[in-house]
Amino acid sequence: MTERYLILEDGSAYLGKAFGSLSTTTGEIVVNSTMNGYQEIISNQIYHNQIIVFTQSSIGNTGLDQNAYESIMPTAKGVVVKEYENLATDQFKRISLDRYLKLHRIPGIYDVDTRQIVHHLREKGNMKASIVDVADEHAFDQLHATVLTNQQVSQVATPKPYANPGDGDNVVVVDFGLKSGILRELSKRDCNITVVPWNSTSEMILDLDPDGVVLSTGPGAPTSLPDDVLEMIRNVQEAVPMLAIGLGHELFAMANDAQIVALESMHYGSNHPIREIITNEVFYAGQEQGYAIDSKSINHDKLYITHADLINGTVQGLRHRDYPAFSVQFSPDGAPGPKDAVGVFDDFVEIMARRRDSSETRF
Amino acid sequence: MGKNILDKMAMQRALTRITYEIVERNKGVEDLVLIGIKTRGVFLAERIANRLQQLENVSIPVGELDITNYRDDIEHDATSIDEIKMSNNNIDFSVENKRVILVDDVLYTGRTVRAALSAVMDLGRPKSINLAVLVDRGHRELPIRADFVGKNIPSSQKEKIKVYVNEIDGKDAVEILK
Amino acid sequence: MKQDFKKILIIGSGSSNIGNENEYDAACFETIAAIRKTGAKIVYIDNNPFSVSAEEVQAANVYSLEVNFANVVSVIEKEHPDAVMPTIGGLKAIQIAWQLYESEVLEEQQISLLGIGPQELTKIIDNQKLRDSLTEIGEKTIASVIIANEEEAMDFVREVGFPVIVKPISSSHDTSRFICNNPDELDDAIEASLKRTYINRCSIEQSIVGYKEIEMVGVRDSLGNKMLVSGLEDMDPIGIHSGDSIIFAPTQTLLNKEYQALRTSTFSIMDSLGIKGTCHIQFALNSQTSSYFVTKVSPFFTRNTNLAAKSTGYPISYISTFLEMGYSLTEIKLPSKYSKYTAYMEPTSDHVLVKVPIWPFEDIPDIDQHLNTVMKAVGSTIGVGRTVEEAILKALHSSQLSPRDILPSTSKVDEDELINQLIHPLASRILILMEALRRGFSIDELSELTKIDKFYFYKLNQLLRGQKYVADHPRTLKAVDVAHKYGFGDGMLAEMWNLSINDVRAIGSESANQVTFKMVEPSAGELNDSTDTFYSSYEMENESESYSTDDKVALVIGRGGNQLGPNTAADYYTAKILLTLKKTGYRTIIMNTNPNAISLSPQLSDKKYIEPIQLGNILNIIDLEHPNVVFLPGNRHFLSTELKKFTDLNIVLLPPDQKIAKYNDNQATNAIDVFIDGTTVTPITTIEFSNAKDSNNKQLKYLYNLSEPMLHWETDTEILVDTVTQIINTDYWQGLVQIMFNRQVDGYEFVGIRPVTITETAFLTKTTGVDWVATLVKKYLGKLDKTQIQEQLTSFNHKRRSTMTSVFPFSQLQSNQHDGTVDQEAGAYLTFKNFEEQKKA
Repeated sequence: MTERYLILEDGSAYLGKAFGSLSTTTGEIVVNSTMNGYQEIISNQIYHNQIIVFTQSSIGNTGLDQNAYESIMPTAKGVVVKEYENLATDQFKRISLDRYLKLHRIPGIYDVDTRQIVHHLREKGNMKASIVDVADEHAFDQLHATVLTNQQVSQVATPKPYANPGDGDNVVVVDFGLKSGILRELSKRDCNITVVPWNSTSEMILDLDPDGVVLSTGPGAPTSLPDDVLEMIRNVQEAVPMLAIGLGHELFAMANDAQIVALESMHYGSNHPIREIITNEVFYAGQEQGYAIDSKSINHDKLYITHADLINGTVQGLRHRDYPAFSVQFSPDGAPGPKDAVGVFDDFVEIMARRRDSSETRF
Repeated sequence: MGKNILDKMAMQRALTRITYEIVERNKGVEDLVLIGIKTRGVFLAERIANRLQQLENVSIPVGELDITNYRDDIEHDATSIDEIKMSNNNIDFSVENKRVILVDDVLYTGRTVRAALSAVMDLGRPKSINLAVLVDRGHRELPIRADFVGKNIPSSQKEKIKVYVNEIDGKDAVEILK
Repeated sequence: MKQDFKKILIIGSGSSNIGNENEYDAACFETIAAIRKTGAKIVYIDNNPFSVSAEEVQAANVYSLEVNFANVVSVIEKEHPDAVMPTIGGLKAIQIAWQLYESEVLEEQQISLLGIGPQELTKIIDNQKLRDSLTEIGEKTIASVIIANEEEAMDFVREVGFPVIVKPISSSHDTSRFICNNPDELDDAIEASLKRTYINRCSIEQSIVGYKEIEMVGVRDSLGNKMLVSGLEDMDPIGIHSGDSIIFAPTQTLLNKEYQALRTSTFSIMDSLGIKGTCHIQFALNSQTSSYFVTKVSPFFTRNTNLAAKSTGYPISYISTFLEMGYSLTEIKLPSKYSKYTAYMEPTSDHVLVKVPIWPFEDIPDIDQHLNTVMKAVGSTIGVGRTVEEAILKALHSSQLSPRDILPSTSKVDEDELINQLIHPLASRILILMEALRRGFSIDELSELTKIDKFYFYKLNQLLRGQKYVADHPRTLKAVDVAHKYGFGDGMLAEMWNLSINDVRAIGSESANQVTFKMVEPSAGELNDSTDTFYSSYEMENESESYSTDDKVALVIGRGGNQLGPNTAADYYTAKILLTLKKTGYRTIIMNTNPNAISLSPQLSDKKYIEPIQLGNILNIIDLEHPNVVFLPGNRHFLSTELKKFTDLNIVLLPPDQKIAKYNDNQATNAIDVFIDGTTVTPITTIEFSNAKDSNNKQLKYLYNLSEPMLHWETDTEILVDTVTQIINTDYWQGLVQIMFNRQVDGYEFVGIRPVTITETAFLTKTTGVDWVATLVKKYLGKLDKTQIQEQLTSFNHKRRSTMTSVFPFSQLQSNQHDGTVDQEAGAYLTFKNFEEQKKA
């Protein structure tokens, strides 16, 4: 078993053992505290350019299930865990975690004190990290010199439109680094889906005559995208029902005058209670959040805050006052994470149905 | 036992969506009053009012309307009409120049709503009247449509649609009974 | 929505037995602390002499009565509580609650039922109602019908599919069952079954044998907010009772979608039952299809609720008490050691907990030792580790399978027997699984035979590899590191390498990976909780800080997993020691592995270590904590001697080892108990021994029932007191001492002297009103107020007869034995009779 190091920007180093790809890697280090769904996490494009520390003590226990990928080509930069199990079972045609990571050139490191790393990051804040063979000065120099791209969306989102046909509502999904869970939930509700590139204009989108438009999740800062995206959102929200998730939610907020802040303490997990303000109900959902909406910047003539995180206070949902457009910061698709809020998709479909009814039924 | 069409969560979400749509359509909550049609419509109206309170921090008045004596398809015992009228409506606000949202559980033939419209008009002259229903099951006999619908449930006339509300039925659900 | 209650009646769980150790008492202890915060008064009914909770409630409010409907009603009539809490007394308390509702006592007396509404309670009592209600919300339960012929059977099978189980219906205890996978097998099974019945009917049900057994523990508040505390996975498939299964927390082999489906199901079931508080639901999961059945719904505190709490560090009992009283999750204020978010932040853990059951097969030899759907375990131990391997090994070497750190060998089992045991598991199941791996069975083959997920075989294989490496590389640093990583203790290395434990520790001291202690807390490091429960791991960061040198620190070493004999009493004893030490100004540290122990309750001590009770682990803790005194409750002579070899520790063995007892005879009728401090001998009371009415065994070990005072106490006490003061040697005897006699026609014959047993100490505390464990602890700490004790014991006047009757698990285990020995007790109950009433009668 090859020994390797996880090194952090602040000079700390952790000795562990290698699995997956043996390449050297650099990315932003994030901690995910979800207890299930390592496969969904690693294959989610939201982790583009990030090294994921799992707090769950062991991953790989079930192999990788063909039906549970969140993207075809995962682009996470690394995996850090206490223990991994290289289990694959022919019975379910699953491949092992090690093989999957090798296939996609993602390095892993295990047998490190992940609890110590979590405590360290809690204290020191967000930073870059590398998985390397030797933790020498050179490695740290390389780490410091690496500039992480801010073009994450264009690197992972589809460059061309494609169809995911169904018999129901005509939904256009704008891909900012889409996770499959969103398509899965829309498909379950029979939607006829067209996925379009992140830089599509509102004309291109509305020409498809959608019943509704979804702005997808994706990696990186919403502020690194051009203003054209915001313009597109403003035009589309006036025309058809809109659901925005994750990065899409942040962009929806920006399109309606709100400001974005980078979180001091990023949150990737599903343990935070989220309150729906209108009913006061509390539920749980997967959250992958490096940025948040500055709640002070929200223009209350345009937007309601519909949901809030009870731990860090961040805005978790918005709704436009004048249009049937709404957004959630969390991942309601439950891949991974609780399915407590999967009804968000039902709401969206219901809103589309209402609009269709009211435009068709005339006396 | 009936077939469950809406469970508790779906029912809650439908009311939440209706609430947002009411504000969206009325461009705010100014002059808004809610009138629930007895029995279950009242509870639904109260829930919408609670949501508006949470959302906009305003208290929207909720009235209770009993339309038994306005129904044209039910024969009345003439002697007791006034009595019923006196005791069963509970609307302690004026509807004059208000935006009235009528709330009922099921929209079916439209006769209940017609009766409710008459009853409200008897009380004064509102600026507008909108209709919110949890379930629209079709089979209209009058030219009436709802402005806010929780769920369209196509149904045969043989079927019975039953809305349960926790306040009196011990659970929240919509079921089709055969 | 929180309600103000003035007086709450808690229904206790009665005597401990199989499936009922001290977990209910532990839950009750937490509940009492929570209720006190609300200002409500507590009334408590329970006749368990080993209940710590009963001593926490004001004596006047404790009804030491058998927990049954009639007695609960009589307490209600006397006390007029405004609420009844039936959720921490097991199924029996729930049944009583239902009777209270059915008989309209609740309505007449205007009493609220906490936790679950009366209507919903009916569903828990009536299986068919539960099934209907689950079907209504779209949850699947196992279908079963009664059939009279093949046609009806085929109708059923067409609906649910194969496999099915056919069982004859007969009045005799016919336990035969036929699993059918196709129509031919079904024909045969029906023919065979119908022949066995008089009424020509048999039952047919869907077979879920071999499905995974998954358990979910959730909480819900009065507003309908729900949270999942933990998932638990039974390693053993459906077919082996959950109480006899090796259980992992969190779940290990579930896909995200499977886990989330069970979570969602748990929530909708809790909603449909209107739960306020905690709910434990069991599922059968088919991992081929990811489909599942609901197999059991327990809307009250259970053994595995407790396991979920232990595994996550989430204080379920405390929180759920507030939930039952109508508080919402966000309204609950926890003790300051928790983060303010803990109550409503869904627990997530970064460690693994494994529970291994303990069976009474050595104590009661005539029972069927196969593990099946009837629970036979009397206790369990847990191991917590950062890896699955570590947790398994820690749990194992805390269990009876391996009393001395090492894995016992099963190499003598022959091939046929091995396969037989793989299919029909016995208590040694996990060792058999390892042996099969050792002999080269393939993992696919083993998984097929046992229906255990392959994952676990991978892990056991890792353990075997670790063990082999250690054996092949004796006395090397690398081998010590490997051993530590997999959870092997230093004691095992010492044994394998034929070294002393100090030598092993010397080799290990060179390692970069020294022992570290990790916190069991519910946020996986995200929040700054400082919960006080730890487990060991050999990593970089240690989170357990020792107390300052100004603090007086006491380490109490618990007895580990429960077994038959005086074990629940020993746990009571341990808890009382902790309470006394805390009151005396000590920082208290408990080390234990019994998840059901009250001594591990969050509020009972300052610090907890869930670590194997093994020399190496104990020394690691002592090295860190430097305790001023170490208490060893129970007969721990061996451990005490071993410990004394290593460090000059101030060790207190309480009560003293029974080995110092001296007997002239092995039969006795009665005794006098005294308390000896220095040269002062204070008589306490007299005791009469007895056993079951039809028993002829008058030997001491069969005399399990105690009464106080003895027969003829009015006339004979004085004589015995005189005799005792003459014979007792205070140089040799200290503390609580019992002098036994045999009553003859012409007087009393002296039988022997022994330290008062643990069980009897609990009994004496309940009957004399003196806290004897506290008294003993204070004596050994030199802080005893003698005059106070003497004042409390002035009179030998008795107004009542108190009796402690032992409970044996024979019928539950289908043993033919009916008269037991003190080593076979599972628990006991108290009864009191006033002499005046007796006379009247």
